[in-house]
Amino acid sequence: MSIATLSHAIQSSGIFTAMRQSEVFYPTVLATHLSCIAIFGGMILMTNLRLLGLALRNTPASVVIASTRNPKRIGFVIMIACGILLAGSHLDKYYPNPYFQLKLALLALTGIHGLIFHRGVYYNADLGKDGKLPLVAIVAGATSLVLWLSILICGRWIAYYDDPNAIARLFRALTHLV
Amino acid sequence: MQPYDVSTNPLNTVEWLFAAMECTHIAALALSIGTIAIVDMSLLGMGIKGRSPAQLLRATETWTVAGLILVITAGLALFSSDPLRYYYSPTFRWKMWIMLAGIVFNYTIHRKVALANSSPPISKAAGAVSLALWLSVIFCGLFFAFTAGGY
Repeated sequence: MSIATLSHAIQSSGIFTAMRQSEVFYPTVLATHLSCIAIFGGMILMTNLRLLGLALRNTPASVVIASTRNPKRIGFVIMIACGILLAGSHLDKYYPNPYFQLKLALLALTGIHGLIFHRGVYYNADLGKDGKLPLVAIVAGATSLVLWLSILICGRWIAYYDDPNAIARLFRALTHLV
Repeated sequence: MQPYDVSTNPLNTVEWLFAAMECTHIAALALSIGTIAIVDMSLLGMGIKGRSPAQLLRATETWTVAGLILVITAGLALFSSDPLRYYYSPTFRWKMWIMLAGIVFNYTIHRKVALANSSPPISKAAGAVSLALWLSVIFCGLFFAFTAGGY
């Protein structure tokens, strides 16, 4: 079975067809996806700013991380569930979209990011206890910030991709800027 | 005075600019609503351990203002790409009224309740109203994009 047939079978299944055809379902799921960016993305953002020493400086980084862990997990599940509904309903269009592929790759990288900084940062109960943040925390915060912002940008750019020359044009535009 | 011609707006002539402005709008949304939500969650009893709503408000308020300025500036830019379409859309008008209510609520009742470290029924109500207002703004914004086919 080719990817094209598989993709078409998935997007033709019940829930994804309903999703695609409904005038209310699709925007509701997309608005929920966006609401998650505001609330849980906001938590990720503030955690990263804390790791960079720019925000919430009176609260130890380990406390910020531990207190936002469960809400972030809940948010992540809602976010992914919405994302699967959104992507699945137009999978034929999305799977060849390079921004969609890049977004998935970057999401995988956030998983690797979490593993790399697991002990040193995210499950380090003593992080920032002495008032100073180690370099590893700053690196974790900065890379996480770049990853999530790139995911956001890819997400928006998926909608504007229409032909294979789009990326080439984007890079040409960017090189004109620099 | 020259009438305003949308076709000369860079957002409509530079291919990637509208999308870039949308990204800015969404990222700033995470900063503005995200920081308000941290206080809301704290009011609802799901905050950061050992920190009161008042302490969280004080710690995030500068970021909230920065986020609001950025999100509104980017929003105005997006609006300028096709003002009439936005102006005549009922969903967009709802969004503007609810956003106004959200800002007023945030800097009056919400702020007072958070800074006073009020007791649960009042603090929970303030947190819930705040979250409901801001999520409604997002929903209106999104539904506008899906219903804006005609005036």
